[in-house]
Amino acid sequence: MLEVEIKKAVGNFYLDLKLSVNREILSILGPSGSGKTMTLLCIAGLMRPDTGYIKLNGKVLYDSKEKIFLSARQRNIGFVFQNFALFPHLTVNENIAYGIKDQPKDIVTSKVQELLKLMHIPSLGSRYPREISSGQQQRVALARAIAPSPDALLLDEPFSALDTPQRERLEYELVGIQELYNKDFLFVTHDLTQGYKLSTRLAVFDAGRIAQCDYKKNVVNRPLSQAVAKLTGIKNLMEGYITNIEGNNIHVLVPELDKPLHIFSANSGHFTVSDQVTIGIRPEYVQIAENEGENTICCDARQLIDGVSCVRGRFNAASDTERKYNFEVDLQGQVKNQPAEGCMCMLYFPPEKLVVFNR
Amino acid sequence: MTESFMAPLLISLKTVLATTVITFFLGISAARWMARYTGKFRNFIDGLFILPVVLPPTVVGFGLLVLFGKNGPLGALLNVFNTSIVFSWPATVVAAVIMSFPLMYMTSRGGFEQVDINIENAARTLGASEWRIFWTVTMPLAWPAIVSGTILAFARALGEFGATLMLAGNIPGKTATIPVAIYFNIQAGHMDQALSLVLIVLVISFASLTALAYWKGKTKRTTIIAPETL
Repeated sequence: MLEVEIKKAVGNFYLDLKLSVNREILSILGPSGSGKTMTLLCIAGLMRPDTGYIKLNGKVLYDSKEKIFLSARQRNIGFVFQNFALFPHLTVNENIAYGIKDQPKDIVTSKVQELLKLMHIPSLGSRYPREISSGQQQRVALARAIAPSPDALLLDEPFSALDTPQRERLEYELVGIQELYNKDFLFVTHDLTQGYKLSTRLAVFDAGRIAQCDYKKNVVNRPLSQAVAKLTGIKNLMEGYITNIEGNNIHVLVPELDKPLHIFSANSGHFTVSDQVTIGIRPEYVQIAENEGENTICCDARQLIDGVSCVRGRFNAASDTERKYNFEVDLQGQVKNQPAEGCMCMLYFPPEKLVVFNR
Repeated sequence: MTESFMAPLLISLKTVLATTVITFFLGISAARWMARYTGKFRNFIDGLFILPVVLPPTVVGFGLLVLFGKNGPLGALLNVFNTSIVFSWPATVVAAVIMSFPLMYMTSRGGFEQVDINIENAARTLGASEWRIFWTVTMPLAWPAIVSGTILAFARALGEFGATLMLAGNIPGKTATIPVAIYFNIQAGHMDQALSLVLIVLVISFASLTALAYWKGKTKRTTIIAPETL
């Protein structure tokens, strides 16, 4: 179990967070510059926080009150870097063996062999990093990081330099490695799909703070802030205010739209009438309606984009006001009522799929 | 005649050898420290370290004379131990070290700065001590620059004239290095002796530059191996 509560100021940037990892892969999600890498460096002992504590399986690695700061070499935490950071002058075998300490030579050799097999690169041991592909290099980096049997593993966007098939294979294998070792893994990424695939819980970073840390389904379906919503792919965001609350039913008026929208939210207790709120919906949840009714908005279809996995449409709310809302809708699966470019149609926002949060 | 060019050759070889060893360690220590030093005196210290390369050697020699003279701070310190280096063989080494240091320092600092900090950090997270990281990661990766710096420092020490003459003087068989001896041989009209010393310097300089080029070519060739893909 890794427990972290740290604060650090660098220039205008403030890192202030609390998180824990409990024998799982916790994905840290956030835009660049949100403090993800800095957090990993602090946990690894490569950077010193200003205040707070870091504990790993009950052992104190850092505590500002008790003036404890273990150096990186004393922490036994593995680190996988985005650019692999292999030792270019050492062979694959020597790279992996670098962190295995105080063992007779034959035990080191067999451990290295075992790791090479685990990473599916058994015959590459005598090669140099420059002689193998980037996917193989990342496998070596992973093997090297787990070779000293670390108590936790930190991965800083480790697969971002790889092509899609290699990345997907390594993601799959990483989950297997975590299950095998059953240690705390912290995985930094800016890609929601990747984080979603690897983890049961996600921590979303925004400007040095954790905007939300929860089970992945909750993060995606019930974002707590606009930053989280944007990062998790909620593209259709609207600003308005609450006109009415009845139980779990919230009514929000968006001035640019001609009628209030009805939202079904389990979090309705957090809101009061006349709150300024942002509401949003994922492109894939918007439907094309046949008739006008509750939560339907009259729009004209501006543009249809035929992508590999989905057809996306862009719609303009056909209101008279100067500010027009653009909606993005995933049209895959909309068997009926496929709109044509330039035509008017009805968009339907299902109340249970709309999300709402304070501005 | 044999003796007259053997003496400067021996003095020069002794001086250059001692200088290269001292400059090697001084330059690497200073370079390693400055490569990661981010304090506010960075530019000042950096300027101080490379100053001898931009100053006329006679100015450096003058400065050294002031420092090591009887009334200079270092001279007074040596005087306590009843010794002085001015116009003695160690002065040739001091002058050559000061003049060759900037080349060693600048070149190896460039080498250290090229080393990806993530690679050193990776070694740290693998439990390596700073000492082990320096010898097994930083030094091997900065090695080409360090070799270049050493050869440049060696060549600079061999050619050192102005500061040496100011601090060590021209005492035949004691402080007269090859460049100093060439100058005074020509002054005295001994052109043949000057010529033989010139030829010796040419051979040594050319041999060391060729060695450097050959070694660089060799390391470059080994790095060009077609990467194999998955």
